[in-house]
Order: sequence, then C-alpha cells, then structure tokens
Amino acid sequence: MSQPIRVLIAKAGLDGHDRGALVIAQGLRDQGMEVIYTGLRQTPEQIVTTAIQEDVACIGLSSLSGAHLELFPEVIRLLKEQQADDILVIGGGVIPESDVAILEAEGVAKVFTPGTTIEEVAEFIRANVHLRALDESALAASPARTIDHVGVAVKSIAEVLPFYTRQLGLSVTHEEVVADQGVRVVFVSAANANIELLEPVDETGTMAKFIAKHGPGVHHVAYAVDDIHQAIAQAKAAGMRVLDESPRRGAHGKWVAFLHPKDTFGVLTEFCQQPQAGDRE
Amino acid sequence: MSIEREYQQWRDKTEKVVAKRPERKSEFVNASDIPIQRLYLPQDGIQSEQEYLDKLGFPGEYPYTRGIQPTMYRGRYWTMRQYAGFGSAEETNRRFRYLLEQGQTGLSTAFDLPTQIGYDADHPFSRGEVGKVGVSISSLLDMETLLAGIPLDKVSTSMTINAPASVLLAMYLVVAEKQGVTWDKVSGTIQNDILKEYVARGTYIFPPKPSMRLITDIFEFCSQEVPNWNTISISGYHIREAGSTAVQEVAFTLANAIAYVEAALAKGLAVDDFAPRLSFFFNAHNDFFEEIAKFRAARRMWAKIMKERFHATSPKSMQLRFHTQTAGSTLTAQQPDNNIVRVTVQAMAAVLGGTQSLHTNSRDEALALPTEDSARVALRTQQILAYESGITDTVDPLAGSYYVESLTDAIEERAWAYIDYIDELGGAVAAIEQGYLQKEIHKAAYDTQMAIERGDQIVVGVNKFKLDNEAQPELLRVDPTLGRKQAEALAKLRSERAEEPWRRALDALKEGAKTDQNLMPLIIDAVRAYATVGEICNVLRDVFGEYRPSIF
Repeated sequence: MSQPIRVLIAKAGLDGHDRGALVIAQGLRDQGMEVIYTGLRQTPEQIVTTAIQEDVACIGLSSLSGAHLELFPEVIRLLKEQQADDILVIGGGVIPESDVAILEAEGVAKVFTPGTTIEEVAEFIRANVHLRALDESALAASPARTIDHVGVAVKSIAEVLPFYTRQLGLSVTHEEVVADQGVRVVFVSAANANIELLEPVDETGTMAKFIAKHGPGVHHVAYAVDDIHQAIAQAKAAGMRVLDESPRRGAHGKWVAFLHPKDTFGVLTEFCQQPQAGDRE
Repeated sequence: MSIEREYQQWRDKTEKVVAKRPERKSEFVNASDIPIQRLYLPQDGIQSEQEYLDKLGFPGEYPYTRGIQPTMYRGRYWTMRQYAGFGSAEETNRRFRYLLEQGQTGLSTAFDLPTQIGYDADHPFSRGEVGKVGVSISSLLDMETLLAGIPLDKVSTSMTINAPASVLLAMYLVVAEKQGVTWDKVSGTIQNDILKEYVARGTYIFPPKPSMRLITDIFEFCSQEVPNWNTISISGYHIREAGSTAVQEVAFTLANAIAYVEAALAKGLAVDDFAPRLSFFFNAHNDFFEEIAKFRAARRMWAKIMKERFHATSPKSMQLRFHTQTAGSTLTAQQPDNNIVRVTVQAMAAVLGGTQSLHTNSRDEALALPTEDSARVALRTQQILAYESGITDTVDPLAGSYYVESLTDAIEERAWAYIDYIDELGGAVAAIEQGYLQKEIHKAAYDTQMAIERGDQIVVGVNKFKLDNEAQPELLRVDPTLGRKQAEALAKLRSERAEEPWRRALDALKEGAKTDQNLMPLIIDAVRAYATVGEICNVLRDVFGEYRPSIF
C-alpha cells in the first residue's frame, strides 16, 4: 500500500495572489496527494524549513509579482545547503517564457505557466518525484506482505475452469459458497498465489451487478496481512475509504476487508488474515 | 391575440425543431448560477409604469439604476485612468507624463509590494520585490520625484494603497503643499479597502480593528480637510479576480461597504458627512450582459442600502460611483493579441454599465507588466469606444431590454440573499474572520478551473483553437539592480535628515496610536520629517500588532 505523495504549495515573497496556489492545492488533493499550503508571504528560508519539517516530496512555488528570478533559485540553494535537494521543486505564476529557461537551469524541475491543467501538474509530480523522498517509515510498516489471491469474476465456473486447469495446469484447491456475498468460489493455485474464481449465485448480489456492469474479468486483488485491524486503521489514516469498518468472514473462514477502488487507483483491494484458533464464528 | 398564446405556439414549434437539432447545451446557466432562458419576453422586463419608476427611475435620480448623472457620457466621457507604476519613481513619472500626453485624463498609481505592505526597499522581506508590480516609494523624496511636473490641482490621482493608505495620502498632501496647491483643490482616490485585502488581495498589515480605525480616521480627516478626496474605493475587483462570481462580487463588496459605514457611524460621524466620498471599484468580466446588469444592480442596491438602512438624506450618499478595470484573470498568456479583443468587450460592458472611470488592461499582462506600446493600445481601446462607437450618445441604452432587466433583478435578488446571510454571521468583518467569504470565493474559483479543464468553458487559445508555436512578445523588464539603488538612497536619506524632528514625530505617532485621537495629522507630521513608509508602519505595528490569517 503506497503512501500519498506529500506536496508543499508555497507563496514565495510578498505576492498576495493566491487563487492559483489554492486551486492547485485543492486540485492535487483531489488527485490523491497530501497537500500543505503555506499561506502568503513566505521567505525562501521559511519555505525550506516547512518542506523539511513536513517531509514533503515536492514543493510548488507560486509568484505572480515578478520576484521569481530571485526567490525560486534561493529556495533551490537552501535545499542543497540542507541536503534536501531530493525534493522536487516546481513553479508557477506570471512567468515569461524567457525566465522559464533560467529557472529550469537553476534547478526548478518545471515551470507551469497560465493555462496549465491540474492533471498535467499531477502527472508531472507523479512521474518525477523521488521515491526515496516518500515516507520510508510508512513503507517499513506496510501491512501487505504477499498476494494471497486475485479474484476473477466469472459467469460460470464450469465454463472457465478448463482454461485454468487444462491450459494453465493449475489445480483446484478449494470450493465453497459464501452465502452473504452471494457467490460460489473456486480457488485454483499457482506456486505463490491463488486465483479465486467468483460465480454469482444470487442475481441481486454484488458479483452479479459487477458482471452486469463490467463483464467478467479481474475483480479484486487480495493481500495477506498479519493484523487486519492495523491494516484497516492505516488505510483510514491515509484517507482511504474502507468498505468494511470491521473485518468479516470470507472464503476459508479468513477475515477480510475491502478498500474502495476509487482510493486504490481503480483496483478493488482486499486485506485478508488467517483465522486464529480462538476466533469464533 | 395575446403574446402568451402566440408564445405557446412558438414554443411548441421550436421544441419540435430542438428535438431534431438540439441546442449547443441542454441547459444554459451563467457563472452566477442564473439560468438563461432561450428567449426573454415583455413579461420578463418592466411590467408597468409604476415598476419602471420604482426599479429604474431617471438617470441622476433614485435609485440610480440608469446612472448617477442625468446626462452621463453626453456630458463628458468617463475618466480614462490607466493603472501604471513600475521600477523607480523617475521611471513611473515618465510613464505618467507619457500617458497624459496620449490623452489620458487621470492618473492611477501602482505601488510595489514592499510599499503596499509597509516595508522600506531595504527591508529583507523586500528581496526581489522592489519596483516589480509597481513603483517603489519609501519616503517623501520618492513621492516628490513621482509627482514632479504634474499639476496636482488639475490632475486627479488614484492610488492603489490599502494598509498604509494614510501614509501615502499624507505624502501626496505634503507634495501638494510644496507645489503650492491647497488641500481643498486636490482630488483623487485611495483604495483604503482593507477588508478585501483579508479576503482576496493579501496586502494587509494590521488586524481588522485598528485597520478599521485608520480608515475611519481618514474619513473624518478628509471630510474636514480634503473635501474632494475619495477616501475609499470599496473593491469588488480583487474579489472577482480571486475567482468569485458576479453575484458574489456585488454582494461581498456591498457587505464590506456596509461594514465601513457602520464603523464610521460607530465613531460618531454623520452619514451624509462621509458617505458622499465613498467610491467603488468593480471588475468588467467576460459575460457581457451579466456584467452590465451587475453594474446596474449594484447601483440600485447601494441606493437602497444608504436610504433605507442608513437613512442618508443627501443624494450623493446614495450614488454608487465606481471605477472599473477589465478582468486581468481572463487574459491569456497564449496568443496575447487576442486579449485586446477581450478587453474591448469587457470595456464596452463597463461603459454600458455606466462607469465613472475605466482602466483597460494591456494585452501582455498575463506575461509581465505592460510595455509602453501595449499600454497605448489599451488606452486607444477606450478612446475608440468613446469617440467612434456611438454607445455613449444616449444614457443607459440597454434599459428596457427584457434580458438585461431580468438579469439585473436576478443578480440583485441573489446578492441580497448573500448580504442577509453575512448579516446573520455578524457582518462582513465577522464573516471574514470565520473564512466564509474566502471559502465561497475559493469554491467558485475551483469550479471555474474544473469547467475549463473539462472543456465545458472554452478559453480561446488555451483549451481550444491553440497554436503550436507562438512568437514571444517583447516584455517590460524592471531594472534588477533597483533594490540596491533604493537601499543606497534610503541610507543617504537616513543619514542626512534631521534626527530630532523625525524622532519627535514618530514618538508622537506612537502615543497617538495608543489613544483614539485621529492619526492623520500625526502621520502627516512624520512624513514632513521624512520618516519612511516602513518606519511609520513599524511604529503602528508595535502598537496594533500584525494580522495573522488562518488558513481555511
């Protein structure tokens, strides 16, 4: 589970025009990033201090007053001085084309001038941000160790099974009906992960609706976790919507919980934990 | 046959056509969320003679919907007042004289950010900012240079200055004095509108309470000493630039105006003593008819506010006089010549809306400050509208348009709803402290950005009709060594001025600031002793503290 990219949007100098800065801040938030806005009138020193304290991966500088040629390079210089120059620095505002080249030569990764879309800015940040600037401690605490299984929605298990067994040479390891989800499941196993074939048994259940909307295909990816409660808590802290506030029973009697696909870049994501000896139904 | 029956038939026929060939959009709604009908009919306009008299009346008469003067531009054109200022006082003085030679009829001064925030050019916070967005003025010496050779009894000067407005006004008055012009002969405007700085523009210094006191001190002082000075220019312009809708622009500006009037009344001033010198400043944006309706609605609302809420009796107190600037935020960096056309349409709306003065933006302002060439084209745009277009030959030519009257009513109705809500929050100052205005504006700004990104709102040259390779225009460059030169000049001033009167004047100001006496005379004394903008503001910072905004 990756942490959101942290971005500092900073108003450098005395300029009070913050419409662009506020719109970008909100837009990047809507793009799934964590954005801190400094407010007005920030000196280069203040900006660099905040960036380091807040452990951001990217600084977006805004100036519409013509002071960019003095202030933006000063931010770059101070970041180097603080050995924090792995932070990506981008800029925006009323900046003539001829100054863009100067700023980029000084170390500003990209200058976005009026007419830029938020999508362009977000894509640039995602593509250029230094991964080691992302929160490494969060990576260490990452709850997902291995892929437990990939869920595949099918109209009929009988129809698809020969593909998995005969063509791919996998073997069936488990079969059950999970009544509260309205599905019959068959697990086929590869060496290091399973495929969970999901066939609707209830016409009004979520699996039937999924197939009606998207057709058959990959439905979810499930990660094995040691502590599902902790995994849920971490996902919530990162601003993700958790579909199961408390874990429920899935196939194999495992504890499972799902994350909203809108917050996981389009993939329905499941955490699952082996049931313990003392667990009760 | 009645219009209604004929209309039903026409509508039925038209619906059939539309079913086959749909309109461009399934519904037409403007940026203020006002639905736009396919067709406006007599029933959407003025219905009766009584309604005409109540809502429109005659130009120069209550409720001033049709204009504040009886003959409007048949008498004389609006004041063509181009906002200018950059670099040093010498350079700006040259640009001022150039604009006057080109037929401009009033001056409008842009100050750099250090001046606007009360820092001298040699303050560390001024780094990179000296002379950039306007002229750098630190002391009376700079002001004397700025106004050299300009007859202050003949030319009116507008100054975009807010938090340190008292200081710059004091400097202007002392320069007039030195030119031998008495204060009753000078005319001009200071923006002096701190509330919109908290909301939208950002050049605040002090917290709201002492800021409001400085403003009402100016009201009182000028009503006695400088009778032709517009003591405030209550500005919707920057609220709109920050992203508000037209309705919000009117509503928030008038809500701020109400707060100023209440503050002056609380100080014990009589409404008809100060209200005639209140002036306004609006934006002229792209939506042509909405803008015209906005100006008309604002005039009608202000007249009602002054008469009904504050019981003003002088007609001058009820007349909303306003300056207009075309919308900077609509200018594009792409294909900058297209901006000339945008500015023309916006300026035309301002004239059809009855503005008293006008600034037309230059085509290159999305890239830098305007060059002399661009500034001249912008001024010529106004002159062409005035001298060639014929739109100035009758008063309020769009009155009675079913659409314009309907829009005027719609804007008024929605703006009242905002003002009522702001009253419920405890007035504009409280609403700003709670971040309400800021959040509403930000929401509208974000909606606009999203509409442009989705392509629902077209910006020619930006998200449609783009050019791959564009030539880069010549741009104005401000002397990058100016900060150092200004710092040297300040060092010289500080070593040469007489120490004793300077110290005494600043001490007197500090003591005065702790009481509730009018600070204008004390600030004028300090300016005479060559105290700088930064020194005067620092004395006031010590007593008043500084504003620290919450981030909403």
